[in-house]
Amino acid sequence: MRNEAKGGKMSHFDDGAMHAYLDGELAPVDRAQIEAHVAECAACRTRLDEERGLIQRASQLLGFAQPSPPERAAPPPLHQLRHPRPVWRLRMPLTWAASVLVALGLGYYARGGMEAPRATREVALLDSPDAVATAEADAVSRTAAGPARLAASPSRAPAPPEPPQAAMEKAREPVLVVDGNIYGAQKDTDRATAGAVAIRSQAERRAAAPVPMADVVVTPARDADLAAARGRQETTSWPVIGRDQARELLGADPVGVPGLAVREIHSPVGNSMVLVEQQVDSATVIQLFQRRAEQPDAGRRVVIRGATSAARAAAPDVRGTERLARFVGSLRVEIAGPLSPDSLNKLLEQVRPIP
Amino acid sequence: MPEDLADVYRTTYRALVRFLYRKVWDAERAEDLAQEAFARALVHKPEKARGWLFVVAANMARDEARRAARERRHLTLLKSEPAETVAEPEAEMDADAQRTRVRAALDQLTPRDREALLLWDAGMSYDEIAGQTGLARGAIGTTLARARRRLVEAYEERSEGGQDVAL
Repeated sequence: MRNEAKGGKMSHFDDGAMHAYLDGELAPVDRAQIEAHVAECAACRTRLDEERGLIQRASQLLGFAQPSPPERAAPPPLHQLRHPRPVWRLRMPLTWAASVLVALGLGYYARGGMEAPRATREVALLDSPDAVATAEADAVSRTAAGPARLAASPSRAPAPPEPPQAAMEKAREPVLVVDGNIYGAQKDTDRATAGAVAIRSQAERRAAAPVPMADVVVTPARDADLAAARGRQETTSWPVIGRDQARELLGADPVGVPGLAVREIHSPVGNSMVLVEQQVDSATVIQLFQRRAEQPDAGRRVVIRGATSAARAAAPDVRGTERLARFVGSLRVEIAGPLSPDSLNKLLEQVRPIP
Repeated sequence: MPEDLADVYRTTYRALVRFLYRKVWDAERAEDLAQEAFARALVHKPEKARGWLFVVAANMARDEARRAARERRHLTLLKSEPAETVAEPEAEMDADAQRTRVRAALDQLTPRDREALLLWDAGMSYDEIAGQTGLARGAIGTTLARARRRLVEAYEERSEGGQDVAL
């Protein structure tokens, strides 16, 4: 704990002893020793002050690492905790995918259409061949099976559509919005493991206040997506082009999220990529990088990493962010913006041609 | 024991949530796990409820992290390297940015140092930390000193240099 100098004279204490002392965790004998020493040793007094500052600073930093707001709703009474919840719950990206699947199915059902292939084509298929993909495929087959199958499943029967405004005000209710129709959704995600067809998780519902938009709920980014914001500054130096020019470059209508104002359309010189920027709110802009797909593979969604993607090559400074990509018609579309991946994912799912 | 546990619930619940939050980085999940830990304590009626709860919570958080890693693989959602934090004066950083930076700084600690620090911050004594981590009680001071120094240094490095340290 302390170093004895020659002749048994007390010498300086090490960091561990100092921290234990400052933490009030030294035995009285050791405490008295350290106090006696510090009273005589200016160097150790200085060090002690430094260590005290270090402890305070570390404690302050840890204080930053708190759920916000730190004081949440009171926990339930202890006696109500009798039934342990399942540890496992669908993580958000998966839940998003599932909710989109269900929403598409329900929307399709509500419109009474018979073009099942269209519904499935818009569905996001994941790459993985394992359980996730199986769950997705299961959900896809439910969608494809058509209205009768959906209606036959009581827990998934759509609630009567409500006016969007009213539903948005019930922000804490699980709500799915597709094509202007809003559906209540079953709360219980615990059973979602079986079919992967429910619905937004509790976590998501109680996450930091959702920002209602035209027809989607966007949760604020959790990790600072400053990198994305900086990446944006790079790409805004690309020349602004008109929609006609964009259409010419793409051979199709450029795509965007319906209901969001198109801020600007850019294209880098000598490159057929088109960048559509849309305003989510006054402070938030999402970017949709789009180009002709070499091999159209409708509905397939991938997550881009590394320098291979054209968009990344064009905007190499966007680091630390995920790029979600999807094929829409003949275009390959990537999304970026200062929102959580889940929100971006959700927005990407809504992308349609904007004439 | 139930009364005792009710007491612990009242005094320790928040600390347990904080402890879990710094492991799973999801407020809702941290609450869920904390509540589940207490629910298990109701069943098991452990002798030393507080220490037991933190052990259970730490195990749950570890399982959670493994599961999350597996799910990420399933989704081929390959997370890029942590977002490089921009050099910004602390006063101007928003809470999210600060949290992100502290999280990155905590990642720089060894698991044992981090555990000791988080347990101390959750209100555990040196004896309790020693019991949980398997460290000798006499080594806790040194461990905490190192953990605190590393945390502060890693945090400041990010604000001054703006460069990520290899994880």
